[in-house]
Amino acid sequence: MSPRKRRFELAKVPASVGVGLDERLQGATLLRRALNKVFPNHWSFLLGEIALYSFIVLLLTGTFLALFFDPSMTDVEYNGSYAPLRGTAMSQAFNSSLHLSFDVRGGLVMRQMHHWAALLFMAAILVHMFRIFFTGAFRKPRELNWVIGVLLFWLGFFEGFCGYGLPDDALSGTGLRIATGIILSIPVIGTWTYLSLFGGEFPGTEIIPRLYIVHVLLVPALLLALITVHLALMVKQKHTQFAGPGRTEHNVVGVRMVPAFALKTGGFFLLIFGVIGLLGGLIQINPIWLFGPYKGEVVSAASQPDWYVMFLDGSTRLMPDWDLHLGPYTVPGMFWPTVVLPGVLTMLAIFYPQIDRRIYRDREAHHLLQRPRDTAARTALGMMAIAFFMVLTISGGNDVVAQKLNISLNAMTWGGRVALLIAPPIAFYVTYRICLGLQQHDREVLSHGVETGIIKRLPDGRFIEVHQPLSGNHLEYTGAPVPKKMNKIGALGPAVRGFFRPIEKSAPPPPAATPVSPADAPRSLEEAKPPKR
Amino acid sequence: MSTEHLGGRSAVDVGGGHGSGGEGFDVDDPRNTRFDLVREGIRRDGMEIVHYAPAFPLGKKSRVEKRVERTVALLFVLAGLLAIGFVVAYIWWPFRYQYGPVASKLYTPILGATLGGSMVVMGLGVIVWAKKLLPSEEVVQDRHDGPSPYDEQKLTGATIMNVVDETGVKRRPLIKAALLLPAAGLGAAAVAPLVGGLLKNPSDGHPLLTTGWNPANNDGKAVALTRDDGTPIRPEDVNPRGQMTVFPGIPGGSTTKWADSPVLLIHLAPEDAAALRASIAESEQRLAAGQSVAKPVVNGMWQDFVAYSKICTHAGCPASLFEQQTNRLLCPCHQSQFLIIDQAKPIFGPANRKLPMLPLDVQNGFFVARSDFLEPIGPTYWERPVEIDQQEATS
Amino acid sequence: MRQTMRRLGSATVPRAPGAARSRGRWQRRTGNAVRMTLALVLVGGIYTAVAPGMRAWADPTASPADIAAGKAIYDQSCISCHGRNGQGVPDKGPSLIGVGSAAVEFQVATGRMPATGQGAQIERRTPLYSRQEAQQIGAYIQSLGGGPELPNVPDDQLYAGGDVARGGTLFRVNCSSCHAFGIGGGALSSGKFAPSLEHSSPRDIWAAMLTGPQNMPVFGNNQLSPQEKSDIVAYIHYLQTDPDPGGWGIGRLGPVAEGLAIFLIGITALVFAALWIVGKQT
Repeated sequence: MSPRKRRFELAKVPASVGVGLDERLQGATLLRRALNKVFPNHWSFLLGEIALYSFIVLLLTGTFLALFFDPSMTDVEYNGSYAPLRGTAMSQAFNSSLHLSFDVRGGLVMRQMHHWAALLFMAAILVHMFRIFFTGAFRKPRELNWVIGVLLFWLGFFEGFCGYGLPDDALSGTGLRIATGIILSIPVIGTWTYLSLFGGEFPGTEIIPRLYIVHVLLVPALLLALITVHLALMVKQKHTQFAGPGRTEHNVVGVRMVPAFALKTGGFFLLIFGVIGLLGGLIQINPIWLFGPYKGEVVSAASQPDWYVMFLDGSTRLMPDWDLHLGPYTVPGMFWPTVVLPGVLTMLAIFYPQIDRRIYRDREAHHLLQRPRDTAARTALGMMAIAFFMVLTISGGNDVVAQKLNISLNAMTWGGRVALLIAPPIAFYVTYRICLGLQQHDREVLSHGVETGIIKRLPDGRFIEVHQPLSGNHLEYTGAPVPKKMNKIGALGPAVRGFFRPIEKSAPPPPAATPVSPADAPRSLEEAKPPKR
Repeated sequence: MSTEHLGGRSAVDVGGGHGSGGEGFDVDDPRNTRFDLVREGIRRDGMEIVHYAPAFPLGKKSRVEKRVERTVALLFVLAGLLAIGFVVAYIWWPFRYQYGPVASKLYTPILGATLGGSMVVMGLGVIVWAKKLLPSEEVVQDRHDGPSPYDEQKLTGATIMNVVDETGVKRRPLIKAALLLPAAGLGAAAVAPLVGGLLKNPSDGHPLLTTGWNPANNDGKAVALTRDDGTPIRPEDVNPRGQMTVFPGIPGGSTTKWADSPVLLIHLAPEDAAALRASIAESEQRLAAGQSVAKPVVNGMWQDFVAYSKICTHAGCPASLFEQQTNRLLCPCHQSQFLIIDQAKPIFGPANRKLPMLPLDVQNGFFVARSDFLEPIGPTYWERPVEIDQQEATS
Repeated sequence: MRQTMRRLGSATVPRAPGAARSRGRWQRRTGNAVRMTLALVLVGGIYTAVAPGMRAWADPTASPADIAAGKAIYDQSCISCHGRNGQGVPDKGPSLIGVGSAAVEFQVATGRMPATGQGAQIERRTPLYSRQEAQQIGAYIQSLGGGPELPNVPDDQLYAGGDVARGGTLFRVNCSSCHAFGIGGGALSSGKFAPSLEHSSPRDIWAAMLTGPQNMPVFGNNQLSPQEKSDIVAYIHYLQTDPDPGGWGIGRLGPVAEGLAIFLIGITALVFAALWIVGKQT
């Protein structure tokens, strides 16, 4: 201790606070490890972040909405700002939804942001899942995280459906009514479950308060818990990466958490929040004031659920009228497309890592991703699933398609039924062939080199195209990207930058303007590199 | 590969370092730069920097660097202005809904544009900063994954199994057996309040079998067909080729309390009504002949009027898109189509049963329901009485 | 369960003792017809006496000159399908006797007539004849056999006295199932559709309710009183002229358009952002 009075030095505060904290928490090593964590760089690794950040927007906007929404089925008369509903009898739930849309400052933009964020959340989950699927990122040791992801999709689905039902407008009531049809279709326990959940006959006065607590507490808590585990597992197991120079099964190549990754992901969060804000303000979503309060006799043409539920609506629309009679009992046709189908799809998704292991006879742990073309069967299966999903989703909106494109509604239904059977196999076959073709081309380039576009006439009169070999040695097929153009291997100078139009002048032609012949071509990739700028 | 990356401009020397790293590294060596310390930390975390290059050389700023700086600063300023714009619009712009093209119609778009715009521009600024001004780097980290060492697995396994031994459950089957009872009991007790509180018995009052048209809701008298304001309906109120949504004339009959009761009252054109009568008669004959056919509602029509439940027999939406020329009712939810001159038999889509017909009568000049529906309305379910439709599927 | 059903099935309306069963079907019919006539007279009388505001509207009057002008157009453009004096031509066009001027004006003024071909449904087109000519043809058809007529008032008076909120309730019960909440129309079975009301004039909406063109059911004045028609027209007019408060309405098409938007705008923009974020540092 210095006898002198200590001067307060602002610059030393962070250091002393840091030391003080570590003396109490011993976090220095852990903190540095966290800061030094390496994240690989690939655009497709950011898809999951879209879902994560939309979830944060959902929590923020949802909290705001919960301050004003009242999940009560009390009968009231509307007397707010929206003239065409003034004097209309409605539930307090719908009344408060209108109130927060029209009579709370910024309420409408918050409600619309909440709804857009929900759509974005589900869309990002789906796109993220397909990225995981097509690159084989679900393989050992990440099967558990894949299963959690599947559960997150269904939780989000359920959460979204509850939220869709909450405002008690005519569309949400219609959705709930269809839900009662689905519950009733369950054999043996259908009527019991329906009456128990609704506390009596539809709609009753119980369902909105019950949906509310499910929507704001139960499912969000589950979502939050599972997202936490999802991320913790991702951190623990470290991120996968694509094959490439220096990348192996035993390392991660990328940038450190700080500052590069943190800044970029922070910026991405702002972009996502901003896009949701722009959508929420500029594009109207779910105009409940047009739908009016729910009444048993009210319905609209083009009654649809939100997009992520639409595939089940589509499967219901395509289902033929097949009721199954078992003596005095009936299994309604509705049971198959609305209960069995999602059940089967979930099980298939959950157990896909095991199925994949059988297909590829591969029980090893993997951290290097596979390119979709290198796993043709899996990619084809995935495209088959996408085709199936797309046919169902389009069928879920087939009345809108029919109306807008002037197609017969009945033809749309039949078209959907046929497409559901033939589109997936076609998608499988076409994808499989494309994958094999792409593999083939990669192999060709590896063994013969890049096409130069130079045609050479041989002394015997034949014409051949001159190929630029990538290396003097034999190159193994490793599943890493293969350069396909001369400028990718530096023989032509870099490609001109610019997305839609060039933003820079094209580089001067390379010094060796004379055609390269196989004889004087560089023997290896390293030789072909242009001098550093 | 490192050579390839390190061949770049002004890359820092990434090899070596004072004290040569490892245990011998002296963190207090005055010759160490801060970057040396960072690199040592990285090394201790099982990582290696294979490429590291500042975006711009230190020292005098180049024109490009200045331009990037200005771009980022400009984006931040713009984001700030937009955020301020949001707050200003939030407070001062008229926000209350009004009819017509008025300023308040721009409230939500302005809020969205300023808030979203501010975030987007801010995000762009941050990302440009990260992309253009941060050093480019490539770091390799070892994974260190795979299973725990064999020893560890063995030791942990033994520890867990030892717990079981210590409790002695294996040696004391009596306790184990006795434990089963509270386990089952408490498990059931945990579920009981949830299930018990919610549980409703479908046989309790038979809510699925009755609707508001049941005379029991009207002191045993026939229930009148009414508009949504409760006024009764005369036959002349509905034109031929017209239809009307009607409700049971009981207290609250048009509210969601009776969401199972809305009915579509249709006034058929004479030739269509004749077709419907013929269809009913044919069903009667076939039924009398012992053929399996859906049981018709005899005397269900009143003159050229017929009334069908509006609740679709598929999923329960109001099947109410009435096509007066083709005499179809279309359900907008799943496109089931019902032919009203054939007792509302489903002719397309997923619905399997006809729409229940409400037996009509006119008393004192007003429509009434002669009884409740003769079959449960709405979606099919497991124990729905089947004898009513006499196995349509097999006919 | 079975017992309940049987109870349900046998439940009938209690009748007055000794009535009905002994009376023949013919007697019941006559009784009903008498009652119906009486009721008609009664309702008509009450309606004329109390119908609010509607009395002020002048009855449509057509001059002989209009009828003659209408006949001239009819004989030139309509006669090939609807026959001489509107009697109809089998398999070509229905008889127009008794359809009324409202139906004619609607069909001609919205360009549906003269029809160009046989589709699932005759569609709205640029009208061939002006509103006045349409009314003249209407007057001619009216003179042939009567039928529903439109009130003879300017367009804006058709909804001036309408209650928007009541109109909204009526719209949702009677109209939205086909024309959709957002008045954008919707698909019907086998290629037919309910047209969009976004550009329908008050007069055309009124005429459509009154006459039930094509597959639309008829909403006569006994079912929806002129006041209620006014309410509905006022509500539709409100939706036609009121800009969406929540931004661009994407056609008020509902979740289909919203789902498309989240992929085409949201996901697409953010995927491009992701590509840019991880793109080569320069």
